[in-house]
Amino acid sequence: MLTKLQAKVFFLGGTAVFFGIFLVLSFDTHLKVPNQTNAANITPAVAAGKRIWEENNCMGCHTLFGEGAYYAPELTKTVEIRGKDWLKVFLKDPEAMFPGQRKMVKYNFTEEQIDNTIAFLDWCGKVDLNGFPAKPPLRDKMMAAAPQMAVSSGPAPLKKPVPAVFTTGTCIGCHQIQGQGGAAGALIGAPPLDDVFRRYDRAKLEAWIKDPPSIKKDTKMPKLYGLAVNDAQLNEIVDYLLSLNPETAAATPSAVAPPAAPAPAVQPK
Amino acid sequence: MKFQSQKIAYWFFASAMLLLVLQIVYGFIMGFARIGMDGLHEWIPFNTARAVHTNLLVVWLLLGFMGSAYFIIPEESDRELMWPKLAWVQLISFLIVGVVAVIGYHLNYWEGRKFLEIPRALDYLVVVNVLAFIANIGFTIWNGKRYTTTSIVLFFGLFTAALLYLPGMIDFDNQTLDSFYRWWVVHLWVEGVWELIMGALLCYLLIKLTGVDREVVEKWLYVIVGFTFLSGILGTGHHYYYIGAPKYWLMIGGIFSALEPLAFLGMAIYALAMAKKGGRRHPNKTALNWTLGSAIMSFVGAGFLGFAHTLPQVNMYTHGTLVTAMHGHMAFWGAYAMINLAMIAYALPILTGRKLWDNAASSYGFWLSNIGMVGMTGALAVAGITQVNLERRMGLDFLAVQTEIEIHFVGMILAACLFFLGICFYLYNFWRFGLPTDEAASSDVRAAEELPTVS
Ligand code: HEM
Ligand code: HEM
Ligand SMILES: [Fe+2]
Repeated sequence: MLTKLQAKVFFLGGTAVFFGIFLVLSFDTHLKVPNQTNAANITPAVAAGKRIWEENNCMGCHTLFGEGAYYAPELTKTVEIRGKDWLKVFLKDPEAMFPGQRKMVKYNFTEEQIDNTIAFLDWCGKVDLNGFPAKPPLRDKMMAAAPQMAVSSGPAPLKKPVPAVFTTGTCIGCHQIQGQGGAAGALIGAPPLDDVFRRYDRAKLEAWIKDPPSIKKDTKMPKLYGLAVNDAQLNEIVDYLLSLNPETAAATPSAVAPPAAPAPAVQPK
Repeated sequence: MKFQSQKIAYWFFASAMLLLVLQIVYGFIMGFARIGMDGLHEWIPFNTARAVHTNLLVVWLLLGFMGSAYFIIPEESDRELMWPKLAWVQLISFLIVGVVAVIGYHLNYWEGRKFLEIPRALDYLVVVNVLAFIANIGFTIWNGKRYTTTSIVLFFGLFTAALLYLPGMIDFDNQTLDSFYRWWVVHLWVEGVWELIMGALLCYLLIKLTGVDREVVEKWLYVIVGFTFLSGILGTGHHYYYIGAPKYWLMIGGIFSALEPLAFLGMAIYALAMAKKGGRRHPNKTALNWTLGSAIMSFVGAGFLGFAHTLPQVNMYTHGTLVTAMHGHMAFWGAYAMINLAMIAYALPILTGRKLWDNAASSYGFWLSNIGMVGMTGALAVAGITQVNLERRMGLDFLAVQTEIEIHFVGMILAACLFFLGICFYLYNFWRFGLPTDEAASSDVRAAEELPTVS
């Protein structure tokens, strides 16, 4: 039978051996991490962004690399998903973007702080995380099962270059236009805008962009007017969207369908 | 109570209980925020509530460990504590640091690194404080009349826990390295050296409560903590899968962390076997319930539920979801909260000289809090699995999924009420014991506690 001394030797010996292996592996990891994380790209802006990340305990609500809290979204790929312009507007006033939703603290960051934070998140998004976050394995199957939900039912879109205002106004982060953008939108139900002229006329489009919840109360579209879109830009956006109508590029089409406000692309239930 | 200086343990325990209540209050704040009742957002946003909730947890557990050490070490070493006054200074300063940190969290003053939110300036004070503690018990053991395995393992656990706090204080501009060394603290604490502390406390309680021969109990203690380190050290790799560290951690972390439940299984079998061998003749049934309960619940929460998401193929989808929170609750509860509550239940009659060891309130406390915790874990499990499927596997938007699982947090809050009711019973009993007395050293409680040894 095992004696106390043998048990003690098992404990001390095992601990020494495995701690030794752990130290060696950690040393190796320490040497390899700079390469795997593109440490050369850690500019002063990225480092400053990391400090902002820490000083405000963003990890107390969000996860980054899957670490943190589970109250707010995972941010590793956020720059890729939302785009920098969108994030810039969002960080100025998070609640304005998602009214009535779970609240985020409004930090009153300076432009520079916002840029640094985004630089940090951009760097994070490019770290080789051994495949994390995985592409949702069931998404394609679901999309295949419900093609009519995912694809716009309008006519073949007219190829027309998308003006810059759709990027600065952050629209393209959520909406697909002329086959571009829309990464974030498919998930919150932002529809492609190529055939929006069929549903909305000029007045309705303007009203919608000025204040989405006034037309559809529980919409997930943020109120961008005043934040990322001014009057001139609003005009430019509406002009362009109406100009996509192949029949009457100039005339004002009447609203034929009831306002098809954004509905989730895929119903959770 | 054999030595006057053991009395200080009471004040550590009392402070720990106070912080436990506060921890639960902040838990409720978060629970309600999750069902849309976030009226406190302006003053206590979620990240503040969370930092307070988890830090108070760690602080009250540490206070419990320190109190336990101040109770056990004099007894095991057969002498008074080296510097009783230093223990007082240490308690008060530790509490001050804790209070300042918690206030700071409400003012956006923190470090924003999960579980290690305490700002750097206060980190140094913690280090000094813990050094004083380690010195105090270290010299007590050193100058003691006898060295027991229990006290050596306890000391080794506390000492390495203090040492492992340091890697968490290194600064990096690289988020991956930051995280890499943060786990040296967080993982190597809860799945390494804290298990030593737990093992030692369990061993001490089993010796006292079952009357089984010390040599037998302590021999198995070595085997169990041997398994802890054998699996737990390289098991750290289960946090290195997806943070930008090399791929070999998937293999190493996967294999070794999958072995970690063995140590907890060992603990559960060990406790049950000793209780069976010794019989339940000790009058303090409450303490025995908590002791055995801790051994069993730690296996369920840490061993079983930890295993459930530790393989890299599973962790790819559960990493950073409510599945983790589900495991975190029951693991901390079973392993560290319950062993502390066991120690307190055992020590109170001896410290105060009152024979309130077995009564209705103490049974309600035990059963309600455990049933409540099982319910909370269940609600988090349903929420977490749903989140994994909808968000990680089907690709739905984060907030859309959160709305879908909101209802499970109503369930969690209900279970948490039950849990809190149990804690209230426990605290009511704590309060009824009254303060520690000098006469307790000579009271007949001590005599009643002495059991004939079973070998
Ligand atoms: C008493 C012991 C334990 C406690 C107190 C505990 C507690 C925790 C906590 C609080 C976390 C969240 C950490 C964070 O994300 O910052 C966590 C994560 C984790 N634990 Fe444990 N744990 C224990 C034992 C175990 C064991 C034995 C296993 C494996 C068999 C395990 C597997 C894991 C895994 C895989 C994660 C990472 C989850 C993720 O990727 O999000 N744990 N644990
Ligand atoms: C009334 C009781 C409680 C409630 C309502 C509650 C609620 C919560 C909530 C909502 C979170 C945050 C999860 C997130 O990030 O979204 C949390 C985190 C946590 N709580 Fe509790 N809690 C309670 C009691 C406890 C107790 C008694 C313990 C320990 C014994 C505990 C340990 C933890 C830990 C370790 C975490 C961090 C988990 C992780 O990061 O994975 N809680 N709690
Ligand atoms: Fe771990």
